[in-house]
Amino acid sequence: MELRQKKKYQAAIPTASMGDIAFLIIIFFMTTTVFTREKGIKMLLPEKTETETKVKPENVVSILINPEGALKLRATGYDGIDISPQQYSEVRRIVEEKLLERDTLLVVSLKTSKDAQYQAMIGVLDQIKLAKVVTQDGRELKANKISLIPTSEE
Amino acid sequence: MRKSIIRRFTRTPEIPTASTADVAFLLILFFMVTTVFRATSLNLKIVLPKAKSTERILIRRNITHIWVDNNGRVFIDDSLVPKERVSSKISPKVAENPELVTILNIHSDIEYGTVDVILDQLKESRAFKITFATEFGG
Repeated sequence: MELRQKKKYQAAIPTASMGDIAFLIIIFFMTTTVFTREKGIKMLLPEKTETETKVKPENVVSILINPEGALKLRATGYDGIDISPQQYSEVRRIVEEKLLERDTLLVVSLKTSKDAQYQAMIGVLDQIKLAKVVTQDGRELKANKISLIPTSEE
Repeated sequence: MRKSIIRRFTRTPEIPTASTADVAFLLILFFMVTTVFRATSLNLKIVLPKAKSTERILIRRNITHIWVDNNGRVFIDDSLVPKERVSSKISPKVAENPELVTILNIHSDIEYGTVDVILDQLKESRAFKITFATEFGG
């Protein structure tokens, strides 16, 4: 008679490391979570002063936005040309051209009508910010002097 | 000679670890359920204007927000502020922290007049560093 004992295997899933895995997940998500980053266009406002800063007219590109979003652009060589809302990229071209001509002296003044849409003003500001040229001596130039004229000023 | 046959059995101390997984998952679930994101609680309808030159803002500190919704209402720190009184809210913040960057989350269809008033108020409170919040595209 054979008396061989039958071995009984007990099935088991090792759970000792489950805690480690769970904490690993917590720490992983804690460290990788990035809350929605802010995006936008940076600007630096000027100080409120009574004294006027004089800028030579040939260094200025002046842009006016009317309530319909159409532009009037004035600069030396451009005597009040009209730009429709579909042609905003024209602003970039002119600003780039003037940047090459006037270098760091260039001032872009942007005056928006009270009744114009905010999107129109941002659209034009966008084009000014996009303007970027490389001078002959290899410097990268951007229109850094942008002035947002208050609507109350005449 | 007699040998004591009492077996000395050594006990190994143990900390029960079977439930740490449960605890950890509970923590995960707890934080998942209780996390509330702020902008949704304000429930403002703001469609940001689109711009190609949108930059990511890398700083995380020294930031304050101004929200202007589709009806032209101005919100600062979760409370409604008349647009002519923006500086009364921002001035103390600037006094505390001159490096403050103000992020303007303004609905794209707002009339520029409102924006102009806010910019004037910001100049008054010496909050010169600003950012117009925009979306990529355009």
